[in-house]
Amino acid sequence: MIDETDELIQRAARSLKALPATNPLANARIIAAVRARRAQTPSRIVQVAQWMREPTLSAASAAFLAAAALVVGFVAGGALRTADGTSPEIAATTERPVPPGPAPALSAANTHGDVAVALLFEARNAKSVAVVGDFNNWDATSSPMKRFGSDGPWTTTVRAKPGRHVYAFLVDGTTVVADPRAPRARDLDYGGDASVLMVTTP
Amino acid sequence: MSEIDPAVALRAKRGDEQAFIEVVQFYYPRCLRFARNMLGSDQDAEEAVQDAFVRVHDSFGRFREDARFDPWLFRILANRCRTLLARSRRHRSLIEYGEVPLSAAAPAEDFGADWAEEVRMVLDTLPAEQREAFLLRHVEDLSYEDIAAATGVGLSALRMRVKRACDALRARLTEVEQPNDR
Repeated sequence: MIDETDELIQRAARSLKALPATNPLANARIIAAVRARRAQTPSRIVQVAQWMREPTLSAASAAFLAAAALVVGFVAGGALRTADGTSPEIAATTERPVPPGPAPALSAANTHGDVAVALLFEARNAKSVAVVGDFNNWDATSSPMKRFGSDGPWTTTVRAKPGRHVYAFLVDGTTVVADPRAPRARDLDYGGDASVLMVTTP
Repeated sequence: MSEIDPAVALRAKRGDEQAFIEVVQFYYPRCLRFARNMLGSDQDAEEAVQDAFVRVHDSFGRFREDARFDPWLFRILANRCRTLLARSRRHRSLIEYGEVPLSAAAPAEDFGADWAEEVRMVLDTLPAEQREAFLLRHVEDLSYEDIAAATGVGLSALRMRVKRACDALRARLTEVEQPNDR
């Protein structure tokens, strides 16, 4: 493309052409900003995925979330096992007793093959927590978490296709935290911390 | 140079959020590269790029469906960079800039850090309009016609800006170039 320059200028131009790494979190911030604009404009129709419309946390759904957290721990791999052989998810759920109730299905695939997966995160001082991951385009607005009780863990359910996924928690809209209960992702092309989620077909 | 599938841009214009996400993901690295080279600050560049995409979203209604997306996007981005340059007269931290991990999806050659930093320092001394024209032409590989569409500046004036930028870069880089740079 360079047509009127000598070799020195061409080298200078090439040295400026290195592309920054893809930054999913920056992209998520942009999408969140755009969605916020849309939310301020009543005439615009914002498409919301069905799975985002979560029901109010009931005793039964709390039981589901707590139980599903065990599933996440299971599918996330053996690295979750503690030194004494117990699962940290079990410790997390026993720390806050699960209300009794019928246990619904732990996960289910929809017609698109997506699998519902419950995630749980402890952040007592946080004002808001969201899940960002490759299954929601790192969109900070797609998967907000809700507190279980007044100061309990944060929970939500995401849908992802079977396979390996990378995700993290966005605390108070600014701090990205890897899931302490899941294996750490080591193949990211950007500087953030993130975790690995293995989703299997129910 | 690659451009996004016009059909995707069209879908984004018509309100398809997934298409808009594709646009952001496709252009973010190039936009950030341009903004970094223009502003010399990672933080300012990210702000400019985010503002630009939000304005793209807000202005999609005015994007002609038969127009090319690249010049339109870079017009908005260049405007944001100019605004930030005008707002922020503080000296940029070239040291901080040098620490930005340009992990390079496509670094064509392994340039020495000193050389790359020198190029950025010289670039930083250019008037903003020359820097902008040089980057759009020789880094973003836009045609002069596209740059004219993006900047609203006439072709002859653009060619002069690019020539002056090249002359300045050549003069300064010739002084600092070491025999083992290549």
